[in-house]
Amino acid sequence: MTTLATPFSAQVNLIQPIIDGLAHGAAYGLLGLGLVLIYKSNRIFNFAQGEFAGVGALMTYMIYTGYSFLPKLPFGLAAVAGLLAGILTALATERAVIRPLFHRPRVVLVVGTVGVTLLLIGVEGLVFPRGGALPTVDAVVGLDTPYLTKIDGVPLLYQNLLTLAVLAILAVGAFLFFRHTNTGTAILAVSQDSTAARVVGISIERISMITWGIAGLLGGIAGIILAVPPAGTVLPGAFTGTILTVAFSAAVLGGMTSLPGAFAGGLLMGLIEAFANADYSFIPGLSSLPSAQSEVAVAVVLLLVLLARPQGLLGREV
Amino acid sequence: MVIERAGRGIALLPVLAVVFLLPARSDTFGHFGAYGAIFAMVGLSMNVLVGYTGQISLGQQAFVGLGALTAANVIDTGTVAAEPFTFALGILAGVGVAAGAALVLGAIALRIQGLYLALVTLVFGGVTADAVFTIPRLNGQEAGVSAIRPDALAGEYAFYLFALAMVALCLYVDIQVRRSKIGRGLVALRENELAAQAFGVNVTGYKLIGFVISGAMAGLAGSVFAFWTQEFSDKDFTSGAGFSLALTFVVMVVVGGLGNRTGVVIAAVFFALISPSSPMLGWLSNKTHWGSFYFDHKFYISNTIGAALLLQTIVMNPGGLGQVVAPITRWFAGEPFSFHGDADTSTTGAQVADVRA
Repeated sequence: MTTLATPFSAQVNLIQPIIDGLAHGAAYGLLGLGLVLIYKSNRIFNFAQGEFAGVGALMTYMIYTGYSFLPKLPFGLAAVAGLLAGILTALATERAVIRPLFHRPRVVLVVGTVGVTLLLIGVEGLVFPRGGALPTVDAVVGLDTPYLTKIDGVPLLYQNLLTLAVLAILAVGAFLFFRHTNTGTAILAVSQDSTAARVVGISIERISMITWGIAGLLGGIAGIILAVPPAGTVLPGAFTGTILTVAFSAAVLGGMTSLPGAFAGGLLMGLIEAFANADYSFIPGLSSLPSAQSEVAVAVVLLLVLLARPQGLLGREV
Repeated sequence: MVIERAGRGIALLPVLAVVFLLPARSDTFGHFGAYGAIFAMVGLSMNVLVGYTGQISLGQQAFVGLGALTAANVIDTGTVAAEPFTFALGILAGVGVAAGAALVLGAIALRIQGLYLALVTLVFGGVTADAVFTIPRLNGQEAGVSAIRPDALAGEYAFYLFALAMVALCLYVDIQVRRSKIGRGLVALRENELAAQAFGVNVTGYKLIGFVISGAMAGLAGSVFAFWTQEFSDKDFTSGAGFSLALTFVVMVVVGGLGNRTGVVIAAVFFALISPSSPMLGWLSNKTHWGSFYFDHKFYISNTIGAALLLQTIVMNPGGLGQVVAPITRWFAGEPFSFHGDADTSTTGAQVADVRA
């Protein structure tokens, strides 16, 4: 078959970066949802979100493989334990760090979440220093192949499709939650004016607990879905190190207060990264690019968004 | 009064003995004494930026790394020791380049503030390290760029004394900055930018000055670090190692007490000694049967200790270590011993730890 390839597509495989980008982007979006949720309610950046995911993935892994004295259970039960671990970690964070600091400057709270991150990484490492990975969805369900189909030889993994689907469901679900439920509305009310919210009878403590519990749940879901091969591991600090910074940038790109924005920003950031990382060595002069193209691209996008459009793509002041 | 102060000075002797005699005991001790001194310089640089100016920085490792990179590349000794003149030139260049980079970050901080600045500095630090430090012509690839010390500083103790002198220089700058018009301007803009501007403080200028002084100190620390390891290797500052350094720097300035130079120096030395790349861990692993556990888990152990101290500090003791030792430092300064400070809360007490959002 003769191909009518343009010089560009002859050199750059467009399918690979698109699929890679969407897969990574879904991961950024998934963590980004938790970041946006906490930003919407507490007006802080939660640096611990990556480790909520880490704890969830780690607990799932330990029970799934029967680590040490823990029972060896089927994946479904292990995943439930992982989600519970994520929620409990988030609740403990809220109780021990966020609530005592509630009336201090926001930056102090952010430093507090950085402290929680470091503590969680440290404790995870002391309890469980080795790496591993969770099974992919096709292995859990028992499918023959890990991919649905191949496009131009690039496999479309079930795991990536699942991640995208979960991300979409969660983004829409969380959006509806804030729009249509009493609890969601109460969370927004507390974030705008906690005194006024208290006056109309909203328990700020209860709202804070619910918010962080949901953030922990989102983190746990992200951890269980993302700690799978080939890229994901349950190594302590893996999520914070590789995904969190980009997830933040993605959330900022999406508008920090917008849950669909986190979804869109995540996917967009994934695509930007993937295309920045594509092989451009055929263009004269670009063959000796330093290896950190995607990081530079993320930084440039973040700066441009913050300088030119601080409200992001879909954000607006709530 | 004079006699009494001299008497109190005698109480400083044990401290001085630890500072000057312990590192002289062996090369190992001298080596990690100098590491502590390097951290102390970084701590003071964070103190100026976070403590006085009120700007959060999660990317300070980039300035340290830039200092090290520049100093090593200016010298690039190969296998011979540096001449004293080129040595000084390398250190000055390291300071200059880091200060220049800090000016860029400061310019960004003029537009982007609060939490978003924290995020931008985090990304800035990571990108600078991963994009600039990995350029093959600058990092000497696998071999690193060598930076052999001049003959006079070849001994570990001699180099330790040199590092100590550099800490003293940073301390002097810190003190002078705080006492001068600049320091009052920085603190004013930390407390309330709008109010400071209304009173005629040049917010733009002072914010940039804060970043530049801080960057210069971090660059100095980096230059000294290059000669401490006697080579520049990008692996000390990129990806995971750099991220962990950046967070350690924030942790130590908060634990020390924002704006409190005594506390920050103590905390910095402490975190230098427990940091994963601390030479103390390797030394301990040879000395004790806990060594192998320690060695396998050193990254996680120092993370856990640092994080626990950080959380303890911000939740229960916002003044940090500086506030804890304040009665002692005041006593040394000639005041009666008391747990309750006098009116001078410029460096401790109520307003510390209030980095504005």
